[in-house]
Amino acid sequence: MAEKYDVQEVEVWDGNYAAAHALRQAQIDVVAAYPITPSTPIVENYGQFVANGYVDGEFVMVESEHAAMSGCVGAAAAGGRVATATSSQGFALMCEVLYQASGMRLPIVLNVVNRALASPLNVRGDHSDMYLGRDSGWIQLDAFNAQEAYDLNLCAFRIGEHLSVRLPVMVHQDGFVTSHTAQNVNPLKDEDAYAFVGDFVPHEEMLDFSRPVTYGAQTEEDWHFEHKAKQHKALMDSRAIIDEVFADFEKKTGRAYKRVESYMIEDAEVAIVALGTTVETCILAAKQLREEEGIKVGVVSPRCFRPFPFDKIREALENVNAICCLDRSSPGGAMGALFNEVSAALYSTQKRPLVTNYIYGLGGRDFSIAEAKRIMKEQKAHADAGYITTEIQQFSGLRGPKLGFFETKRR
Amino acid sequence: MQGVCATDKRGSKELGSEELVGWDEVMQGVVVNSFEGDATDIARQKAEERNYSEFSSYTATVASWRVIKPVYNRDICIDCQNCWVWCPDTSIVSRDKQMLGIDYDHCKGCQVCVEVCPTNPKSLLMFAEHEDLDKALAQWPQKEKKEK
Amino acid sequence: MAITSVKNLKEFSTANDRFEGAHLLCPGCAHSMIVRELMNCTDDNLVIAANTGCLEVSTAVYPYTSWDTSWIHIGFENAATAAAGAEAMYKARKRKGTLKDPDAPVKFVAFGGDGSTYDIGFQWLSGAVERGHDFTYICLDNEVYANTGGQRSSSTPIGSSTTTSPAGRISYGEKKMKKDMVTIMAAHGAPYVAQLAPNKWKIMAKGFQKALSTEGPCFINTVSACTTEWKFDSKDTIHLTDLATDSLVFPIYEIIDGQELNILYRPKNILPVRDYLGAQGRFRHLFKPENEHVLVEWQKRVDAHWERLQRREEARV
Repeated sequence: MAEKYDVQEVEVWDGNYAAAHALRQAQIDVVAAYPITPSTPIVENYGQFVANGYVDGEFVMVESEHAAMSGCVGAAAAGGRVATATSSQGFALMCEVLYQASGMRLPIVLNVVNRALASPLNVRGDHSDMYLGRDSGWIQLDAFNAQEAYDLNLCAFRIGEHLSVRLPVMVHQDGFVTSHTAQNVNPLKDEDAYAFVGDFVPHEEMLDFSRPVTYGAQTEEDWHFEHKAKQHKALMDSRAIIDEVFADFEKKTGRAYKRVESYMIEDAEVAIVALGTTVETCILAAKQLREEEGIKVGVVSPRCFRPFPFDKIREALENVNAICCLDRSSPGGAMGALFNEVSAALYSTQKRPLVTNYIYGLGGRDFSIAEAKRIMKEQKAHADAGYITTEIQQFSGLRGPKLGFFETKRR
Repeated sequence: MQGVCATDKRGSKELGSEELVGWDEVMQGVVVNSFEGDATDIARQKAEERNYSEFSSYTATVASWRVIKPVYNRDICIDCQNCWVWCPDTSIVSRDKQMLGIDYDHCKGCQVCVEVCPTNPKSLLMFAEHEDLDKALAQWPQKEKKEK
Repeated sequence: MAITSVKNLKEFSTANDRFEGAHLLCPGCAHSMIVRELMNCTDDNLVIAANTGCLEVSTAVYPYTSWDTSWIHIGFENAATAAAGAEAMYKARKRKGTLKDPDAPVKFVAFGGDGSTYDIGFQWLSGAVERGHDFTYICLDNEVYANTGGQRSSSTPIGSSTTTSPAGRISYGEKKMKKDMVTIMAAHGAPYVAQLAPNKWKIMAKGFQKALSTEGPCFINTVSACTTEWKFDSKDTIHLTDLATDSLVFPIYEIIDGQELNILYRPKNILPVRDYLGAQGRFRHLFKPENEHVLVEWQKRVDAHWERLQRREEARV
């Protein structure tokens, strides 16, 4: 039996350590992992827990991230709790297997400590890896700080392993700013955390020899479409389970999570939509702007990036006049993903607010409160003018001549 | 002989003839089970004792792949089991150390069994797919004399 | 381990097949001969992983499976890791007492073709063997990417004409000898490594049983004659394999603990390599006068390899 770890009521943990503790408390059967900055400490800390007898499961250090996810898939099909962690290039390398894991409906928890994608090589946080996973069929939850990284890991097992979901789940946190910054974290006691997560319930397991099972069959044009549709339906339907698990978590801990988090949105005339640690920066900026200049700014963030909360985004933003979507990933010849998806959700509202796009913070470039305020004020200008007065996509915090694309045709 | 150890399920459908059900009815995660019910110790059960599910290829046939078929002559066979061990299509039916015949639902007509048959004349020979089995047996060649 | 008697073929034939017909492998394919034999040589439960390849695309096409055991395919390269992951899960669940039947004997097996073993899955295989997972990896070596229509792999031997190393007016086909995978795997320190062939069914069955009953990672390279890409008639699969083993192009041997090499089959009459090459369409062009040097080179290399194996066997190192 795994030793009990005495956690304090308040611990000072960084995001990686918080995630590692959540994995330990979930009593995972197999962790197959490969180190990569900035997620390495999750694996290192977990390894230390193994070395000190706090873990009963297997800890398999493989030769690449592709193998890490491959090992997770093999282990998950064998009917137990599975998790791992990665970042950036490692995430890119395991991408092939991400699709295979979700296609096989295997509940695996993957901690993604967000980091930029090369080239040029960069170890700092941006959301390129998170965006790369957006069509992979995984549930993607986004933590904005260490406490949330801990909480969402516990929720992730419950959500993914739910018998009507059975999908893999990513828990994202920002590289370094969350993963390496020590903060106060209120963990659950080991037994309470495990009681929340619950025992793993095997389903179609390869180790039930009374019921031989084939995983990973091929489908061509006569079957593939139906299988992918069924998988998509499961992902869309997981919204209800996510809500249910968040509600239960709130009951246990008092900490409330929603698929879309909103701050000061009730009376907001303009809003900013962002992911990750930027959300906290934006909240501070919005509060200051409200106090200093009386501009009613709200902040909205998809806690759940996949399934994309089309419904909740619309609810949160349909009464706002102007919105900016912050994308922390090089959009590669398009508008940012968050801009595209939020705009699409709002297109089917009566009001169709003005929506702009800011590309910011690539490769760990700092995003300041001052810059957030400047952007918010631009939205106020759009709202007052009744049309978008700047280019629709702009780069924020970039040196050199101003870079932006496309002007509005709606005046 | 054709139906040797066959069950109702063996080779009961042409590949591709299965009903194309909608997205709501396909198997979650493309996962399929080989058997219905408890299949513990399946290695100790003969094919005809097993409860294959509709997903097992045992229930499908590839007979249409064949243009020539092997015919088995019990009178000459010495039950060496060469044909059994080298059949790539699990189509030689042997029970209790005896060769019983050919599973024509799964045989593709590769002719390996005929080639590895050591008897003289051979206990397995290829005939046209449409040839009647009794007629084939009636045409069986005599023992060949070894050339000196 | 519950092993099936392989004393003679009559005994062996009482095994109940767990690899079903109406798979989609070509008529006369050696892959299924090898797979059937592996599955028939034990009564233990099996968890089988397969790389993408002929075997995989022919035996699990929805809504069918030809497997009567647990089976998984993930990708082209990672069957070794899938098996390793399942094996790790087995260990964890056994320890925690969450297995449905904790006493049921089980063996973990991975299959790959030479493309997925020698080339694209090499790293995954190497990693899984280095980590010491208790599983057996079997390479179905037909020296070509047969599933995709016959492209060269690093197992393709010199002079072979493939779609990506075609013979032509100025080329005799593939220029390099094949990678020596058996020795590479032995160098990992794997407890049991062998090269086996289906024509020598008893040696192969015993090798499989040895691998399955050996704790730790075992690697077996099996000769899988390919009627489609080697270009011979489907009835001649075993004959071709006889030519391969008796010309010593595919010597049958094992290496234990990375050290002790045992030759498991010594042909009474060693056949000239050209007899083996001449029986296959992929080498037909080598019999043009201008390519005679390739035939000479082939024989030289086969002789040297056989000499080396015998010396290693003698030296016991």
